[in-house]
Amino acid sequence: MKLLKNHASAVALTIFPFTALQANELNPDVSVILDGYYKQNNTALSHREEGFGLGHTELSLSSPIDDLFEGRLTAVLEEHESETELELEEAFLQTTGMPYNLSIRGGRFLSQVGYLNSRHLHEDDFVERPAAYRALLGSHYFDDGLRLNLLLPTPFYWQIGAEAFDGGRMSEGDEDIGVYTVNTRFGGDISRSQSWQAGLSYLNNRQIHGEHEEEHGHEDEHEEEHDHGHGPAYTGENLYIADLVWKWAPEGNNRQQQLTLSGEYLYADDLNEDATSDDVHKGWYASAVYQFAPQWSAGVRYGEVDLKEAHGDHFHDQELEETDVMLAWSHSHFSTVRLQYTHQEAHGFEDADNTVMLQYVMSFGAHGAHGF
Amino acid sequence: MVSKRLFLTLLIGLASLPAQASLNVFACEPEWADLAGILVPEARMTVATSAYQDPHYIEARPSLIAAMRNADIAVCTGASLEAGWLPSLLRKAANRDIQPGRPGLFFAADQVPLHQPHDHVDRSMGDVHPEGNPHVHLDPDALPRIADALAERLASISPEQATDIQRRLLQWKVRWNLSKAEWRDKADDLKGMTVGVQHSGFHYLLRWLDVDVAFDLEPKPGLPPSASHLNAVLQDPDLPEASAIMVALYQDDRPAHWLSERTHLPVLVLPGTVTGKEAATSLESLLSHLVNELHQLAPKQTVESDG
Repeated sequence: MKLLKNHASAVALTIFPFTALQANELNPDVSVILDGYYKQNNTALSHREEGFGLGHTELSLSSPIDDLFEGRLTAVLEEHESETELELEEAFLQTTGMPYNLSIRGGRFLSQVGYLNSRHLHEDDFVERPAAYRALLGSHYFDDGLRLNLLLPTPFYWQIGAEAFDGGRMSEGDEDIGVYTVNTRFGGDISRSQSWQAGLSYLNNRQIHGEHEEEHGHEDEHEEEHDHGHGPAYTGENLYIADLVWKWAPEGNNRQQQLTLSGEYLYADDLNEDATSDDVHKGWYASAVYQFAPQWSAGVRYGEVDLKEAHGDHFHDQELEETDVMLAWSHSHFSTVRLQYTHQEAHGFEDADNTVMLQYVMSFGAHGAHGF
Repeated sequence: MVSKRLFLTLLIGLASLPAQASLNVFACEPEWADLAGILVPEARMTVATSAYQDPHYIEARPSLIAAMRNADIAVCTGASLEAGWLPSLLRKAANRDIQPGRPGLFFAADQVPLHQPHDHVDRSMGDVHPEGNPHVHLDPDALPRIADALAERLASISPEQATDIQRRLLQWKVRWNLSKAEWRDKADDLKGMTVGVQHSGFHYLLRWLDVDVAFDLEPKPGLPPSASHLNAVLQDPDLPEASAIMVALYQDDRPAHWLSERTHLPVLVLPGTVTGKEAATSLESLLSHLVNELHQLAPKQTVESDG
């Protein structure tokens, strides 16, 4: 034991020159995401306008707060009709010291429903989220609330979680707790080269029926006028999402090659007081992305969404089918340039079109996470 | 009454399960699984990566989250090697024993001084780690220090095994020192030798052996070899002096072979860590294998040292 101590002090002495560097670690991790694009034509249900534009410019700070909490702050700058909006997308604290593999998150954060929703937009393989996500979740649903997650003591991965949100970013209403979600996820490895994850989510939007009728009708019109991409344009009292992801990399070495297949199905019903049981929103997508060399990936995605647009006491059918093909080049971990072609076929959308997009996503600062 | 007793027995059975079971060790890389396995051989070991994988690029996938959830200790390299996936894994596993600053998270690179620390780092330099080169597991002098620290850590987590751990540590160190003497003998023949590399994975061993790096196939650390960089390497005046091009198992060996065709330098595709197979069943055999492979190419081999 004494020998060990001697060694330790010797090590401490030799390490001493680096302490100046380590003091730096008290600063939070800072990361900036630059996202810019050129888009040939306007498309339906899109948050990106034609021409040159900026997408989701993000500034993020994260750090352990103490030995029990960590925190994260993400501010997003977005342009809408040449007005720059500053939005807080994340401002949350999370516990790191809870027993039984429990974790609690509070503040503003991305809901964990579905596969894509809890991911940041810049991690995506395509310029925009699938049409079903854009319509039903406003691309990514985040709100103020509380989350409780539990990892079950099983030999495979099994997580259950529940969230309660203010709901103001889903639809307008008076409920204090407007949105509840529950979510479960399973996953594992099939072999050294293959792994998978499946999830089921349910989102309950209590504000659909929580208001006075007159007010509702009025606000509907109001909402259509300034539909600037934050809350989703299509909602229902119940939203169900099933997701499945499968990844393959030879020997699990995803540096060289990786194939990712993913798909989700979204279904929303009980759209408002006037809705019959036939009035539902539903949509799905399936995507295949193949990273065929360390710096190159190609992908194709097909998605559909069938929507009901509320017009007073009745609904109009809307349909959108979308096919995306993309090629991306990532010089390093921190820089990606993407070329994408999108083909839309629609019923009930005036602005559906085909378009070519060129996008860059660059990050500087802290190293991003490689989530599954 | 019967059901109540049954329930109680079940409850007690469940509660005592973790105590009876041996230690659960989560090793980020195979080298640390080997080292921990020597100190606590009966531990249940999960290895997050293999010699066929680039440890920088792993994803925090579900199976790893589940393994981290059940672990008593995680043994990792540190120095930002796992920066892309370990923090995410720790967050998702929500295992309060394994968090930065807790005894359950052991970083090998924190136990020894690293080579090439940088006062200034920016990303235009490539994937450079400010703490220094993290691939410390191939340094014959660093490993005993890391083993000391790991033994101490394991003993603090599992005090009832402390004497066994200490005994196994001493036995391992004796074997290690004997092997080290052999490597040292062979290193005498390697003096003045230079090699080409792809990334700095073998750096610590080469430095210990006094073998110089003539060129690196990566234009910047972490970037894959590019055509323009390979052409520049081809013009490198140090190139003809080199004895071989070393490539790790997980790397694409085509750039090395491209260069080999033009220079007739032999390509050594070598395990960068313990594979569990043939020549690299343990850290010790891995280092012996690497030293032997280099020794076979030594420019001035003498008859005595061949044995």
